[in-house]
Amino acid sequence: MTKTQVHTNLMKSLATSIGLCLALLYNTLDLTAQQQISFVPKLYNQPIIVGHKYFLEQQKDSVQIDKLQFYIANIYFYLDATEVHEVAQKHFLIDIENTSSLELNCNLEEGINYNKIKFDLGIDSTTNVSGAMGGDLDPTNGMYWTWQSGYINFKLEGSSPLCPARKNEFQFHIGGYQAPYNPLQTIELALTKGNLSIDVNIEQLLDQVDLTQTYKIMSPNAEAVATSQLFLQLFQQSK
Amino acid sequence: MSLKYSILVLISLGCMGFYTIELKLFDYPEYFPVPEYNFDENPLEEAKVELGRALFYDPILSKDNTISCASCHSPYNAFAHTDHDLSHGINDEIGTRNAPALFNLAWQKSFMWDGAINHLDVQALAPISHPAEMGESIANVVNKLQNSALYRKMFFEAYGDSLATGEYTLKALSQFQLTLVSSNSKYDKVKVGKDSFTVQEQAGYTLFIKNCNSCHTEPLFSNYSFANNGLSIDTTLNDYGKWGISKQSKDSLLFKIPSLRNLSYTYPYMHDGRFKKLNEVLKHYTTGISHSKTIAKELKRPIILSSNDKVDLIAFLLTLNDKDFVFDPKNKFPRDILMSSEGFKK
Repeated sequence: MTKTQVHTNLMKSLATSIGLCLALLYNTLDLTAQQQISFVPKLYNQPIIVGHKYFLEQQKDSVQIDKLQFYIANIYFYLDATEVHEVAQKHFLIDIENTSSLELNCNLEEGINYNKIKFDLGIDSTTNVSGAMGGDLDPTNGMYWTWQSGYINFKLEGSSPLCPARKNEFQFHIGGYQAPYNPLQTIELALTKGNLSIDVNIEQLLDQVDLTQTYKIMSPNAEAVATSQLFLQLFQQSK
Repeated sequence: MSLKYSILVLISLGCMGFYTIELKLFDYPEYFPVPEYNFDENPLEEAKVELGRALFYDPILSKDNTISCASCHSPYNAFAHTDHDLSHGINDEIGTRNAPALFNLAWQKSFMWDGAINHLDVQALAPISHPAEMGESIANVVNKLQNSALYRKMFFEAYGDSLATGEYTLKALSQFQLTLVSSNSKYDKVKVGKDSFTVQEQAGYTLFIKNCNSCHTEPLFSNYSFANNGLSIDTTLNDYGKWGISKQSKDSLLFKIPSLRNLSYTYPYMHDGRFKKLNEVLKHYTTGISHSKTIAKELKRPIILSSNDKVDLIAFLLTLNDKDFVFDPKNKFPRDILMSSEGFKK
């Protein structure tokens, strides 16, 4: 082997390595795009803007959303009724004002068209009795009650002239874990090919409660559990 | 004496030192039950206990930096608040319940007089957030701690990260409080054969077992469950105890059964601090029971004690005072930390 041949071989392998690296990098980037699911809070098919006024079609008055936070937990993906993927991170805090929280890293495998997703809206009772936790579960996130132990599963705050309250404000803090007032709901959604974006249709809640009567739920009670039933209709695969 | 021998001595001394530290952080006598607290989730370490002690004594936890945990849970009162029937918070706000003594917390399943809190780690959130106690939010406490040179140092030493989080703040507070073990009263010394009861104390012990032990169960002197002990409703407070949390009628007027350890240091007694003297408490149990639907089954029939019995019983109850615990320097205000140039940063 001559010196030139050695040099050429070296160049060849270098080029191959770079190519391989690029391919890997491309793959990784591509994977990232597939790995996450996203939540899109909407009112009548419009992405919700915090502080913006919307018209409630059922109750015929305006509404403004100031805060929307909720926990999505224990996410599973299915392929033909078989559970094929369990998301490693157990609890995600979704906050409408923190756009990065709307994208959930699920480490999904590329090229599989999952046809069902299942997740909890809220925090299970075991986690609720396990003491102080960090990350998305840290009590500094404002999703943990202080006067009584328990996570708030879903928090929606805003105002509407319909609410006979100070500053016309409504507060829905739906949470707790102890029977008979456990408002945890498990959601199952069919997925069609390749679309991992999920709408959170807040009108499914606001149209179903009478804001002139129901505008303040801040404890685990029968009203909270009844309201949590509406969460089953809240989620829909984006069109 | 050879070098080998010296090294051996040094190693043994080192091991003993290590062993002593282990004992100091959390230890309890053989006759105590197994703790409820899951130490695997929050293993005690000296730097974390120290951080917890500093936090416990630092008014930085309150909104206006005036009230610390120790304001209502003083070490000299076995971490209760002598002379105050109801707890006392920021801006001279008065709460609705008596600040309970803090010790042997590792054996308790739930916290607060109404059991509202299900885990020691999250207990501190209640007084921190209560408008009549510290009136602060945990998020702002964490913010203040992150801006304090002292706590950046202490969190780094304890958790390897100078930035406080809610989780670490609460877990450090638990660490210190878990070390508050009271197990060195005369009763305990008798239990291990290092002392003996007087005739009167022994008579009181017999009366205690017959009349009190089913709720104030030895050796912790509480079974830490909830009961209606027949107190009449104070109409200025209208406190229905556990019912306020569960909204179930079976829980009406149920309050947490407190331990009887250290009772000379922890007056006044009951959830609203209505009794100042032990005599008043015994009078309540013998002739003062207010009967209602949820009254404890043990109190349905009257407890009969002669005046001699009462004297004997009190003599026994006084053997539950644990002076070593109340004056233990490791539990006191950490002067060297909080009075340093970095301490009490406003």
